[in-house]
Order: sequence, then structure tokens, then C-alpha cells
Amino acid sequence: MHTRITPGRALVLALMTFACAATVAALSPHVRAQRGSASPPPPAASSRGRQVYETHCVECHGESGKGDGPAAMSLVPHPRDFTSGRYKIRSTETGSLPTDDDLLRSVRTGLPGSAMPGWGPLLPDDDIRAVVGYIKTLSPRFAAERPEPIPASTPVPSSPDSVARGASVYATLQCSKCHGEDGRGAGAVTTRFEDDWGFTLHAANLAEPWTFRGGPDAADAFMRFRAGVSGTPMPSYTGTATDTEMWDLANYVASLRRKPVWEMNADEVTTFYAQQEAEALADPVRRGEYLVDILACPVCHSPVDKQRRTLPGMRLAGGLRMQLSPFGMYPTGNLTSDKETGLGNWTDDEIKRVITKGTLRDGTRMLPFPMDWPSFSTMKESDLNAVVAYLRTVPPVRNTVPRLTRTFLPVYLWNKFEMLILGRDLPSYFYAGNAGATGGQ
Amino acid sequence: MKTFLTRAALTLVILTVVGFLAFLYNIPPLFWIAPETFGADMRHAAPPVDGIADPARRAIAERGRTLAMNIGCTGCHATNGPQGPDLTKYLAGGGTKIVSERGTYVTRNLTPDFATGLARRTDDDVKRVLRSGTFPDGHVVPYTTMPWANFSYLTEEDRHAIVVYLRSLPPVTHKIPEPSFEPVALPPGAVEGIFGLKDYGIN
Repeated sequence: MHTRITPGRALVLALMTFACAATVAALSPHVRAQRGSASPPPPAASSRGRQVYETHCVECHGESGKGDGPAAMSLVPHPRDFTSGRYKIRSTETGSLPTDDDLLRSVRTGLPGSAMPGWGPLLPDDDIRAVVGYIKTLSPRFAAERPEPIPASTPVPSSPDSVARGASVYATLQCSKCHGEDGRGAGAVTTRFEDDWGFTLHAANLAEPWTFRGGPDAADAFMRFRAGVSGTPMPSYTGTATDTEMWDLANYVASLRRKPVWEMNADEVTTFYAQQEAEALADPVRRGEYLVDILACPVCHSPVDKQRRTLPGMRLAGGLRMQLSPFGMYPTGNLTSDKETGLGNWTDDEIKRVITKGTLRDGTRMLPFPMDWPSFSTMKESDLNAVVAYLRTVPPVRNTVPRLTRTFLPVYLWNKFEMLILGRDLPSYFYAGNAGATGGQ
Repeated sequence: MKTFLTRAALTLVILTVVGFLAFLYNIPPLFWIAPETFGADMRHAAPPVDGIADPARRAIAERGRTLAMNIGCTGCHATNGPQGPDLTKYLAGGGTKIVSERGTYVTRNLTPDFATGLARRTDDDVKRVLRSGTFPDGHVVPYTTMPWANFSYLTEEDRHAIVVYLRSLPPVTHKIPEPSFEPVALPPGAVEGIFGLKDYGIN
């Protein structure tokens, strides 16, 4: 490949490193002498970067930079693993490292369609540069290799001709297999994939450039075709298509853009929502998955470890323990389709009754918090049906969640006395670990 | 006569004690209210969007209203009064305080009040919290404290609709304390502590 390290290169690198080290060693006494003090050497360039990283990045990317922060398992797309040195958004050849400018751009403008915000308006540019410097130290590749920038190519300006040619490139390269005939997934074999790390990702909806991680412009799309998106099924088309063809394709993709809702007039908004409604009814499982995600069901119905990371394979399997003062210890239910320990044997109406009336199968009433069934009861019937339809498709996970444990009555009464008479607010807690039993048959 | 009085007094004391214990046991009367009533309260609490003049914006806000109700923003961002959540101050915050080794957070005032609410924030600021849990000062709220990781699944257009709706709410002046990053000790094994009975804002 392009970046294989040959013995010759390794030797050159080693010599360069030695030369640099020797220079630094030779210079440093002078520097110290000039300062005229025995103060400790100035912090390494990365220490500011590390500080920025630890303040702003760890919730998703993790302490070690492996993309395993507390929130990581809850995010699609999954946060980048910086230790791998593999990056999706590059202006460099396939398999190559990104340039500093690539990394700076991703940090400054963020990655639309993911949880990565643009830090440009939030952090001083020095901090952004420092954190990019730090991120590069997390993979040994940056010390050993150089990025291979893609040479500039002449853009083909958009025109009806170019767009028409791009449409035929779209057909030739079989883009529709993942992105659909219309760029929105219609007729695609599938739009749901796994990346090289086994995490879910979705084929881009080409009508919605405001969700493109690498940017909305034709030049950005061209670069994705040219460079590929590492670690995903999106390959580089270098060698398969010419630069001109890729520019035509980029112009075609740009032509697929639909109006976002914030640019629509009233009639368009009405039509758009009606169309979304029809799509939701046509694909209730997809709609239901969306609802389960945005209703934040997995936050409580998936057990976590002490670092608040979802236990592997336990999404929606329940067993998170909640100590609800003064009522008792309430473990969250198993929402997977497991017949014995999950919702597999519940009827649709039983599931909907829990969601909207907080009443369990045996008639037990639930508290109106933290399971916010009063709010969920404002959902319309078709959405409730969609949630049920999706939950039926969640792969079964065997996790026998124990029944709730009520607070010992005298303690309960005392706690109530504290709350109602003494005006104290008693905290509720949620705990790490799984209260359920995963074993057995 | 004397025994009668003694008995009466004794009965009264016992009745009072039993009555008091029954009061402690049953109040708040969560299980005495029909589930449908809770839901109806929720639906009526969310202010309508009729006041918005521009029809496109009104339609988008209506979508945002539905989403805000469905998702259950009130679950944490309600304002508590003496009788529990005061839904007339819709989404004025302060009703929940969450503590952990990462600090203390009180739910923010989401109404468009200039001094204490979201009127001082740009749309991008609000969307950034809903997508990335990142505040305008750059700090990231734990995803377990505010479930932004899940809200990152919202389509950009639905997120926009929620923001448009929040902009249309009646402003409520309700000052919320800024987050504190002093670690709070928790019982062993606990990940987060949640307080939610009082109003934790500063009126």
C-alpha cells in the first residue's frame, strides 16, 4: 500500500529522530542558561492538549482515547478510537493518516449527523491545536508515518450536463445498493451496516447534506469518493472512477439535496410532515427504534458499569438498580424480546399499558417517575404501535430481573415523616451493575 | 364515667396515630389518581403554539410541542411548588438536582426568559446541548445526568422543532444555580444521586 514502512524509510526516520534529539539535547543547556534558573522544563506541547482532552473529550472518547467513554455505547456513529490512527474524514490517500488540517477541521466544525460538536466557537484556537496534537500522540502511527495528501484536482463546476453524467456514474458504481435509487435509501439492499469495529452505522441519506460528517459541499463529497471513509463499507473510488467522474458524481449528489424544514413555507412543512407520517406508518420498526432512542429508554433500561458505560450486549436488557426514596429498590425491566425474562410473552396491549398508564401486567401501579409514563401517554397510537413493533425486534437477552424490594415499612414511614413533616428531600440513587441474572435456562 | 373518658381519649389517640401513619403512607396520593389523569395533565400543561404568527414556524413549533411532551422534558425540567410539580411554570426548571462525583447539576430554565432562561442562548447553543451535551462554556454534562446521547439521535429537523417550540413558551423568571464541579460522595456502588422534591432554583 501507500504507507508501508520499508527498511530504508525506517532508517531515514531513525536518523531524523536521532538528529532532532541530538539538536534538542545540544540546545537545551543554552536555553536553561538563558533562563538562568533551575525551574523545571516547560511542559511538553501535549500537556495543554491533554488537559483540554480530559476536560472536553473523555465523556465520549474515553480516558485512553479508545472511543470507549461513558457515552460511547449510546452513540451512533460510535466515537473515534484515537489509538487506532484510522480516520474517516481525510483529504489523504486510502489507508493514510489524516493531515493536521483534516483533524483541525473536524474539531473546529464538528461532525454533523453525530454527537461531535464544532469546538470552534467554544475553545481558543490554541486549545484546538493543542488537543489535536495530543490526539496524535495516542496512536504510534503519527510518529512513524506521514499523511499522503491527495493532489489537488480541478473541480468540475456543477451544470445540468455534469449532474446527468454524475447520475450515470451513480448507476455504474452501484451507489444505490447502499444509498438507494433516490439517495434516500429507497430500494437499497440495506442502509444499516457495521463498521470495522462492529459498531452500527447508517448509509448517508444523500438528500440531507446537513448530516454529512465531512461537510455539505460538492468538494467535500468529492473528497469522500476520492479518499474513501476508512473503517466503513464506503470505499475509495480511486482507480474505479476518474477524478472528473467523481466531480460529476459530487455534483449529482449535491443536486439530490432536499429543502430542510427550516427553509420551508407552511404548505411545504405540512406536506413534509404528512410524508414523514406516511413513512413512519410504512416502516413502524424504524419509527419505533427512533422513538425508543429519543425517549431515552436505553439510559435506564440498560445496566452500566462504574464508569457509566453500558454493559456489553445488555442494551435494553434491564437490571439497572434504582433506589427510589422512600419507596424501595426498583430494578429496571428487561425490554428485549426474550420470552421468559423480557417482553417476548407480553401482548401489545400489555406493553402499551405500561408505557402509557404505568400499570404492570399483574395490575401493579408504577410510580410516575423516573419512568415518565405520564409523558409517554401523550404519544399517539401509531407511535405506540411503532415502539411495540420495534421492541419485538430487539434480540432476546436472557436477564431475569428481580421484583422490586419495598422499603421496610417503619423505615418507609420514617422517611415519609422526614419528607412531609421535616421537609427533607431524600436522594434517589442509581447503581452500577446488573441486578438481574443472565444465566440459567 | 371515668373509664369511659379514658377509653375515649385512648381511642382518640390511637385513631390519631393510625390516621397520621395512614397519611404518611398514602401521601403523595400517587396511586389514588387514575393514570389517565396524569396523562391529561401532561397534555394540558404544554402551552399551545397559537401565538406564533408565521404559519410555517407555527407548524414546526407544533411538531416541537409534540416531541417535547412525548420525550418528557417535564420529567426533570419541571418547577416544583408546594404540591409537587407546578406545571403552570412549564419547563422553568429547578425541579431536579443531580449529584455525582462529577458535581451538582440543577435542571435549567428552558423558557425564553432573558435573564434566567434560554433567551440568552442562540439556537446553535441549545441544539448543541441537545446533540452533544456541550454547554456554551465548553463543558460537557454527563450523558447520564442529561440524556443528550439519546437526543443526539433526533433528526436535525426534529431538534430544530424542539428549539422553535421552546422559543415560543411563556417566559418564566426562575434563576437556576450554575453547575458546580465539586465531587459529591455517594453510597458505595451508586453512580448518581437524584433529588427532586423541592424547587432547587433561586426565585
